[in-house]
Amino acid sequence: MGDVILTMKDIDKSFPGVHALDHVNFEVKRGEVHALMGENGAGKSTLMKVLTGIYTKDSGTITYEGKETEFHNTREAQDAGVVIVHQELNMLGHLTVAQNIFIGREFKTGIRIDDKKMNDEAKKLFDRLHIDIDPTETMSNLTVGKQQMCEIAKAISHEAKVIIFDEPSAALTEAEIEELFKIIRDLRKQNLGIVYISHRMDEIKVITDRVTVMRDGTYVGTLITNECTKDDIINMMVGRVIYEDPKTESAVPENAPVVLKVEHLHAGKMVQDVSFELRKGEILGFSGLMGAGRTETARAIFGADPKESGDIYINGQKVTINNPQDAVKCGIGYLSEDRKRYGIVVQKTVAENSTMACLENYMSGLFINKKAEKKVAEEYVESLATKTPSVEQLVVNLSGGNQQKVVIAKWLINDCDILIFDEPTRGIDVGAKNEIYKLMSRLADEGKSIIMISSEMTEILRMSDRIVVMCEGRKTGEVKIEEATQEVIMNLATRDIN
Amino acid sequence: MEKIKQHPIVKKLGFNRIVLCAVLILMYILFSLTSKGFAGLPRILSALNYAYFLGFLSLGVTFVIATGGIDFSIGPVMFCAALVSGFCLTSHGMPVVLCLVISILVGFLFGCFNGYLVAYWTVPPFIVSMASMNIAKGLASVFTKTQSVSWPQAAEAAGWFRKIVKVGNFPVGLVIFIVAAVICSLLLNNTRAGRYILSLGSNKEAVRLSGVNVRKWEMLAYVICGTLVGIAAIFYVAAYTTVQPGYGDQYNNEAIAGCVMGGTSMAGGLASIGGTVIGVFIISLLQEGILAIGINKNYQLVITGLIVIVAVYADVVARRRKN
Amino acid sequence: MKKKSSIFTSQKFIVLLVVIVLFTFFSIVSPNFRQYSTMMSILNYSYYIVLMSIGVTFPLITGGVDLSIGTGLICYSLAGGYLITQKGWPVAAGLLVTVLLGVAIGVFNGVLVAFMDLPPFLTTLCTCMITRGLGSVFSKGLGISWPAANEAGGWFRSIFRITTANNTMIPIGFVLMVIIVALMAFVLNHTRIGRYTIAIGSNKEATRLSGVNVKFYHTMAYVISGFFAGLAAVAYSAVFATVQPGTGAGFELEAIGGAIIGGVSAAGGVGSVEGSFIGVFVICLLKTGLPFIGLQANWQQIITGLVLIGAVMVDIIKKKRVEVH
Repeated sequence: MGDVILTMKDIDKSFPGVHALDHVNFEVKRGEVHALMGENGAGKSTLMKVLTGIYTKDSGTITYEGKETEFHNTREAQDAGVVIVHQELNMLGHLTVAQNIFIGREFKTGIRIDDKKMNDEAKKLFDRLHIDIDPTETMSNLTVGKQQMCEIAKAISHEAKVIIFDEPSAALTEAEIEELFKIIRDLRKQNLGIVYISHRMDEIKVITDRVTVMRDGTYVGTLITNECTKDDIINMMVGRVIYEDPKTESAVPENAPVVLKVEHLHAGKMVQDVSFELRKGEILGFSGLMGAGRTETARAIFGADPKESGDIYINGQKVTINNPQDAVKCGIGYLSEDRKRYGIVVQKTVAENSTMACLENYMSGLFINKKAEKKVAEEYVESLATKTPSVEQLVVNLSGGNQQKVVIAKWLINDCDILIFDEPTRGIDVGAKNEIYKLMSRLADEGKSIIMISSEMTEILRMSDRIVVMCEGRKTGEVKIEEATQEVIMNLATRDIN
Repeated sequence: MEKIKQHPIVKKLGFNRIVLCAVLILMYILFSLTSKGFAGLPRILSALNYAYFLGFLSLGVTFVIATGGIDFSIGPVMFCAALVSGFCLTSHGMPVVLCLVISILVGFLFGCFNGYLVAYWTVPPFIVSMASMNIAKGLASVFTKTQSVSWPQAAEAAGWFRKIVKVGNFPVGLVIFIVAAVICSLLLNNTRAGRYILSLGSNKEAVRLSGVNVRKWEMLAYVICGTLVGIAAIFYVAAYTTVQPGYGDQYNNEAIAGCVMGGTSMAGGLASIGGTVIGVFIISLLQEGILAIGINKNYQLVITGLIVIVAVYADVVARRRKN
Repeated sequence: MKKKSSIFTSQKFIVLLVVIVLFTFFSIVSPNFRQYSTMMSILNYSYYIVLMSIGVTFPLITGGVDLSIGTGLICYSLAGGYLITQKGWPVAAGLLVTVLLGVAIGVFNGVLVAFMDLPPFLTTLCTCMITRGLGSVFSKGLGISWPAANEAGGWFRSIFRITTANNTMIPIGFVLMVIIVALMAFVLNHTRIGRYTIAIGSNKEATRLSGVNVKFYHTMAYVISGFFAGLAAVAYSAVFATVQPGTGAGFELEAIGGAIIGGVSAAGGVGSVEGSFIGVFVICLLKTGLPFIGLQANWQQIITGLVLIGAVMVDIIKKKRVEVH
């Protein structure tokens, strides 16, 4: 390990309503792999975005190569040698590997682009990384792993001195991860500073030299990887925060009937052999880290994405769900994590959104019975305490929490018995959050069954009667609320994959 | 300005529509001042003749644009319907009523074809439009053996259908058109079809995840459009005499212009039948006015083209500001 | 992983086979079709569509479209012809104006699409109407005849066809087309303009983030299309005796259809100049061949429409299959 190349000191950043980074410290040395860890929303990505100029910091200093610096955009950072390898790749599928690496700065002889030179240069980069990729291959023909290697090559071609890997292994196979590690070790040997963001505890132990842990936007501490255990890190990640009234025991009787049973569900890479049961009046928490396959599972059950195999039983009856229409007929409602894209129609009113799933019940003859529609919408505005001047307000003008309530109303009006809440409180402020929680409890008491996907530990421990934990597309465990602690769940969610 | 916009009556009628009405009236005054004899009834009736068929085209395409799609096969399809049905009448001696039904049927079938390809096959709407535009032209030419078709005159026995445009000097067509517009408005705003068409134009995925069969409703928008195009053909032949195969494209742009000017957003999800109606009147008056002033009528193509560009740009800017 | 597709399974090759099959079919069925003069007239009537098709390949690859090329062609030809026949301009100057008008309309389209974010199909539909109107305005609604081959100033007609002393025609236009195709294939594959055209069609935002001046290169795609519509106008004027205002609608379908049949994806990002070149001949053969087997020429319009839809459907099915694997 060499001298320190990059220091971030007392970095502070606030967004309206959120203190995203609270005086965070972070440093990287030449020739080290430095892990950055923390739960979802701990502030890792925000910190890296501040570093590379996507966000501007409110206060604090960044020292790079001995000089105080501030990058104003990714390009400036790139030119200075600080490069991010993103999780979602910015690639041009129709161009070749070499063309992608050198896009925007092609070599030319006259007006002719010198593809041969670009291929040679790309080949040199790959040789330096000891990877075997044909620079003339079309990008979209490569596996995700290979594409990622190309991104790394592109990063190095910028003469990078610090490379940030943002969850690089999320989409890779075991063999590809091995290859990635080889590259990272090489880069370390070449005296580059490497930041490695990952949730995988086993990887952290294998590849990194030091670990910095963040929690809720604050800096918790830095450990030397060799000198600590997995439990040390988990303890730092979850901290000792006292959570608001966590549930101590399940409210659901042992003999409550099973309303939804999913068996051996497969849907793509992110849903592998998932089975579980949901009981009447139960809130079943789905916990896991980002990319664990929870949303994908929900969408497959709801018929929003195709599934490969697996059976679904509702009240003991086997059902076929090929599209959302089937799911809605079976009495399932899905509240997406991305309300704006999948939940509401923003240019329509509260009333119109409320009856979207069951408009046929509000018809008189050919025409929509707007009076009845208005009445039912108002009923639910009142019972869910949605804040809106009238049901004729456009949904776009409502706050996040109230938009969420409109979506809930949509499914309640359709009389759904099974509700899937995907990150129900994302982007919602604290006061509104509590209201949503109360509402969910009330619905469960009324006999609705709820699947709640949440990345917030507090939410999981506060709301769930039972918790299913997923990791990398598989169900890794099921925990009763009585036995659930953050440590137990985190252990399952970051289980070593062998 | 903001105060005027917030006034309850203005809000009810829609600020845009009031401005459009003002433009319409101003245009009328302007043309009356610059061209002698423009103010008389004949000019108005002539402008209305143009407004009827164009109005039906425009009403139809409003539904398609509401889904976020486009259909610029409407002009040629209208001609195809008029030619095929007219040929049945003049060369095969079929009864007039049957021919009118055939006309609507041709439009309907094209609507089904377009809608099926767009909704169920996800073929880009502009490709579908381009293809069916040429299929319509080709079909009409093949069917009529590239001969133009003349529908019977009002004086003839079979010419009774021309009464749907006017009886004496009374513009029956206007009444029918307004009734049709009201029905379209009800369809768009008060039925499931309209609700889903507008909603899927705004956010298709959210509507699909509400358990709605979005493909069916998207296709329906094209079918409604096609049917209205078939009706437009009837009004075309009732107002004019001869239909030439191989033409009809220029009406695409005018119909879309009427629709976009009236406040229907090219991005989908927002549509106003009232706006479309006023837009159509403006285009028809413009056409008549240009004729009356004695400018080359080809300028009209240029002017409508520019109008659409300006109207769409206004929509783009408005949306950008909202985000 | 998908292996690189061999030349024999590529769309270009299959379309070339289709061209050969169509040609053989018509030749067998109709003795008149296999005459040398028929071949020559097929070629003569193909040049302007080939040129449009080469040009429109560029906006298509960006994921857009240019519908203004058909009526535009007529408009430019009318304007150029007007200056030559009515104003006594030298033919060379008239030709230059013809091409430059195409470039001007291309710039207009490009700015509206790239800088002002208007939807390409609507924008170019408008310019389609505008050029149609302008064409009629230039010519006062009358047809314009460019100088005939035997008149003074008729030299330009031999750009595409030389008639020798014993009345055989030599199609030098075809040689010219091959050269232009090679040139534009070079531009598409080996210059920045081409590279960024593909990149924009592939992922516009990623291209922008790579520091490419996306707006400029996006505009250039339409300029190229306009320029080639201008060249097509020259070819059209050289082949046809008279240019009629109000025509031209529908030419763009033949050109776009040819490009799409030749492997340009309607979704953007994919396409080749040589593919478009071959694709056009499917349409040209249908157009000239159908009357020889006793079908009206207008059947060609219907068949072209259906073939276009078919080509796009094949594209969609292919993409679906890739997604599943």
